[in-house]
Amino acid sequence: MESKTAFIFPAFITEFTRKEIDFLKINSVDINDYLNRISNVLNLELPEFSYDNKLFREELNSQILAYTISCAFTDVLLSKAIFPAYLAGYSMGIYASLYAAKSISFETGAKLIFKAFELVNELTETNLYGMGATIGLSSKDVLELISNNELNLEIINVNNEHSLVIAGLKEDVQILLEKAKKEGALSAGELTVNTPYHSKHLENYSESFSDFLKNIEIYEATIPIISTFDQRKVLTIDDIKLELVYNLTQKINWFKTMQKLIDCRVEKMFECGAGKDLKKISRFIKGDYNLRSVYKI
Amino acid sequence: MAQITDNTRGEVKEIVLDFFAEECEIDVEEISEESNIISDLDGDSLMFLELIEVFKKKYSLNIELKTIGKYAVKNPVKTIGELIDMQMLIIEHENNILDL
Repeated sequence: MESKTAFIFPAFITEFTRKEIDFLKINSVDINDYLNRISNVLNLELPEFSYDNKLFREELNSQILAYTISCAFTDVLLSKAIFPAYLAGYSMGIYASLYAAKSISFETGAKLIFKAFELVNELTETNLYGMGATIGLSSKDVLELISNNELNLEIINVNNEHSLVIAGLKEDVQILLEKAKKEGALSAGELTVNTPYHSKHLENYSESFSDFLKNIEIYEATIPIISTFDQRKVLTIDDIKLELVYNLTQKINWFKTMQKLIDCRVEKMFECGAGKDLKKISRFIKGDYNLRSVYKI
Repeated sequence: MAQITDNTRGEVKEIVLDFFAEECEIDVEEISEESNIISDLDGDSLMFLELIEVFKKKYSLNIELKTIGKYAVKNPVKTIGELIDMQMLIIEHENNILDL
């Protein structure tokens, strides 16, 4: 049976491998050309790229950069005639997955990121919200900690059976992480975001994001995208719009999404993005597949 | 409880070095007991967890991850040598490691 390939897209850049730009240069791609296109369409002044430029650690800039690198990597893979059978985007990786599926243009993806950021910015600016990740505790353990300590938190994503992401009130995130360490978590730390993505606090933005999508140019996907919300195959324009809203405002499950790809007989996955976060969290996702960075094509 | 023999430390060391060499895509000769897991090898908690699973399977260990987590908070490891020593204690004491 023919082996299938999937492209998977990270949401953020936790840490560069520092091979990203060399890989693009070897393939005659200048990341600053892509960033300039975004600057023009969003009327923003994005800085020139360098790994250590602190401006790219700001929430919006970091989202844009993660998206830009993912799209540039996609272009390189496609130029080498590596074509995926499936796509999946981890959280905000959805925008790059839509670009790879030819559902949106590169510029439209930037507009979607900007709009989502702008919508939830009123939450972000309060500095009241946050996210965290635990490693080594089960969902049951974390839910018990939340309930026993009456914390205003939710598990908003399961990376794998040992790695969970929580979101909610920043103060409660910090309490939970301390309690998780005492409970035996091997690692428990805050994520550098002030927005409780995928939590109930985002539900109020469903309608306004839906309204915004009405005027956005979206095409049918040429390659199915696996939903991180309910793992269905997303192809049609209406379903893409629905998935975009779910992706912003509902819980996701990356573990189940990866399992779905494996069930679809995907044997080769490319992490289309900076860093190697998706490879790291795939450690406990069992299956007959090989997940590699794009540098290893 | 697993049987500790004179060879066990050597066996554990070999597994740990092979594991990190493969994960970090470097030659096993580049890793020593003095190597810092985070700064030299870019190690992380999930790597540590995966290694624990390897030892749980190999030595049929009865130990909860939470127990190891609680022990690790009080006895953090920085180097490969310290990690090997911790794995030896896990193999020897399993869930009783917290009583040490």
